[in-house]
Amino acid sequence: MRLSFFLHLVIGILSWSWAAASTDSQEQIVKDFFDKNSNSNNEGSTHTNNWAVLVCASRYWFNYRHMANALGMYRTVKRLGIPDSNIILMLADDVSCNQRNKFPGSVYFTPDRGVDLYGDNIEVDYRGYEVTVENFIRVLTGRMEPSVPRSKRLLTDERSNVFVYMTGHGGNEFLKFQDNEEISAFDIADAFEQMYQKKRYNEIFFMIDTCQANTMYSKFYSPNILATGSSELGESSYSHANDHDIGVAVIDAYTHYVLEYMENVNKTSHASMQQLFSYIDPVKINSHFGVRTDLFTRSLDNIRLTDFFGGVAQAEIVSRPETDNTNINRIEEEEVLSERNITEAHSRPRLPNQQTISWWSYATSPQYKQLRIWSSLVMLGGLIGLVFSRK
Amino acid sequence: MSSKPQPPSSSPPPNNNFAVAFCALAAARTWLSLTGFSSLLDHNQLVSSPLTAFSNLKEGIFLFNHDIDPYSGGSFRQSPLLLSLFTTILPSSSKPLASLLWTLNDVVGAYTLVQIWRSRQNVTSSRRDTLVAAAYLLNPYLFLPSLALSTSSFENTLMLSAILFACKRKPSQTVFTLSVLVQLSLTSIIMVLPAMLLLITDPHSHLASPQPIQTSLRKLWPLFGEFSLYTIVLILISTVIAGSWTWIPQTWGATLMLPDLTPNTGMWWYFFTEMFDHFRPFFLMVFSVHLLIYVAPVCLKFQYDPLYAAYILLGILGIFKPYPTLSDPGLFVSMIALFPETYQYMRHPIVTLLLHLHAALLMPLFYDLWVVQGAGNANFFYASTLVFACANGAAIVDALWSGLRVAIGETPEGYVVVQE
Repeated sequence: MRLSFFLHLVIGILSWSWAAASTDSQEQIVKDFFDKNSNSNNEGSTHTNNWAVLVCASRYWFNYRHMANALGMYRTVKRLGIPDSNIILMLADDVSCNQRNKFPGSVYFTPDRGVDLYGDNIEVDYRGYEVTVENFIRVLTGRMEPSVPRSKRLLTDERSNVFVYMTGHGGNEFLKFQDNEEISAFDIADAFEQMYQKKRYNEIFFMIDTCQANTMYSKFYSPNILATGSSELGESSYSHANDHDIGVAVIDAYTHYVLEYMENVNKTSHASMQQLFSYIDPVKINSHFGVRTDLFTRSLDNIRLTDFFGGVAQAEIVSRPETDNTNINRIEEEEVLSERNITEAHSRPRLPNQQTISWWSYATSPQYKQLRIWSSLVMLGGLIGLVFSRK
Repeated sequence: MSSKPQPPSSSPPPNNNFAVAFCALAAARTWLSLTGFSSLLDHNQLVSSPLTAFSNLKEGIFLFNHDIDPYSGGSFRQSPLLLSLFTTILPSSSKPLASLLWTLNDVVGAYTLVQIWRSRQNVTSSRRDTLVAAAYLLNPYLFLPSLALSTSSFENTLMLSAILFACKRKPSQTVFTLSVLVQLSLTSIIMVLPAMLLLITDPHSHLASPQPIQTSLRKLWPLFGEFSLYTIVLILISTVIAGSWTWIPQTWGATLMLPDLTPNTGMWWYFFTEMFDHFRPFFLMVFSVHLLIYVAPVCLKFQYDPLYAAYILLGILGIFKPYPTLSDPGLFVSMIALFPETYQYMRHPIVTLLLHLHAALLMPLFYDLWVVQGAGNANFFYASTLVFACANGAAIVDALWSGLRVAIGETPEGYVVVQE
């Protein structure tokens, strides 16, 4: 009795410590993989999947441009490879099917109406009145009712790079949702901290296009967040272009220049964040956009645009790993078996599958199928002959 | 069109007329099968069901040739006998050769029908032979599934062959053909009893003189025994072909459990699409037993003319089979050519014809509207299959009435025949 308890304890400790050691070595393998593929000073990306949360927080027809902002980002992000399953698109209103839309079913973001952002292949996850502060925070933190469908969840993990884009009407450390509530910079900062604690992101790129946008990212305190906003405290962000047929402004200036630069970027591009930010001219957008990099380890030159905007990740083809895994499994099995041997007086024999190969399984193996077919045809023919030879 | 049997030694009508006409029909069918028209029917669900489709057959052959058990998935539900024949001797990869095989099968079926007609009339040839052959070869319900290379055509030929052997009083051959047929389609088991009754009596028309069956029913027992023996041997052969017993739940089990709810011309699929799982076993049992309950009454009623009982039961099979194609009611429609004595007593042939026309034109239309264009929904198509079932039902009811009415004969002036 005492001996069995002691042996249980020893085996438990051994297996736990061995497991702990093996996970460490697994971490080491992963770290080596990412280090191998990054450039010098280990400043490559370490993500394996990309997610995007695109929020348009304002409704009504005259906020057409906010919808177009979010849909333009959606289009870019999809074009660069993030699938719909990894995009949470929140649009507070439906301008494409608005009665005031002269081009129903379409949303344009340039006055020449060259590109239709709406089309027939978009997936809006949160629409209309579902776009609320509560839902946005629930999306970020992942704390939702079990009944919420998968398409509405942000299922990120430790190695996900998340691109969060928000647009609407905002002010000093707040963003207005749906004309009846607001989210503050503290809320978003706390949500990101929750994500950090729960290991729900590898790196976050936060972009916001509202008035006094830079105040929204001033309160972040979690690591690995790169943030950019369209205007400083006290400044407004301006729209870029009006369409005279639609009758309202169709795109905001900051987002317009971002999208314009992204048009030249494809999945294989190595363009960096620094190049994007250099492209945007504060004079042309009539506001001073800002970038917050203190929480981010990598420098802007080393961050590729596809790290956040696209669904591109590092991959390499390796040969089958040495039998570490098989060794692990076998050791585990032997431990379980030996444990069972101790607890029971007799050892149970292994399953007899591989021992007795009966003639039946022998005969049904594939190499005998021709033999089976022809022998059965001969039997059938014999039966037919027998039957038809009778009176 | 008298129903008096002619003595067999009378001078036969010109036989070569029939031979020429038959060859012409066969040539026309061959030409039709070799045109590109058949490719239109490849994926049509009305002319082939999941149990009989040629694409499923090719899938099974492919899996078999690549050492994968064809019965492990849900795509191949044909009998192992067909699998063995098509992987070795019969053509499956070459479409023209396969079309020729199916046309040959139909020609054999038509000739069998003509022979059944001749044995019913007890002649070696008659003037109506060409009409009977044309009723089989030109029936669109039969040649469309044959063009689509659906194996239900083989089932029809086997059925007709079984009936022919029964007409010719060949017990072993009848019973063997029936057991091969049951291997291909489990629901044909309801035809065993009328075929055996036909064996022990005769195929001649006795509709005008109903009487209780004269021969002893004890003769049926050895026939049933032989049928069971052949069935067991064929099951064993099929198991050897398939390499395991998995073919039974995939083929016969599909008829009983209805795993595949692909829309077809039958009545089962829609019911079971909308049925809750809780009630599924009960209704599967109800639908299967429903087929069985017709055997005894029909055979009892037409015990003096078992060929007519077989005809009625084929019609019932055509309506209530789990996975029918157009060829099942098509066989019933073609076999109407065998019973000209009943034509004058049919009450509503025009209605039946129009219902058939209605259903035959609307079924493919609504199917296309629902599945291909997405403009309609399942209810359109299901309604047209209901009309089709009504058409077949009207035909069966009329056949029953006229078959029984023949016994009453001409009514004198002022009298009317009513049904109590």
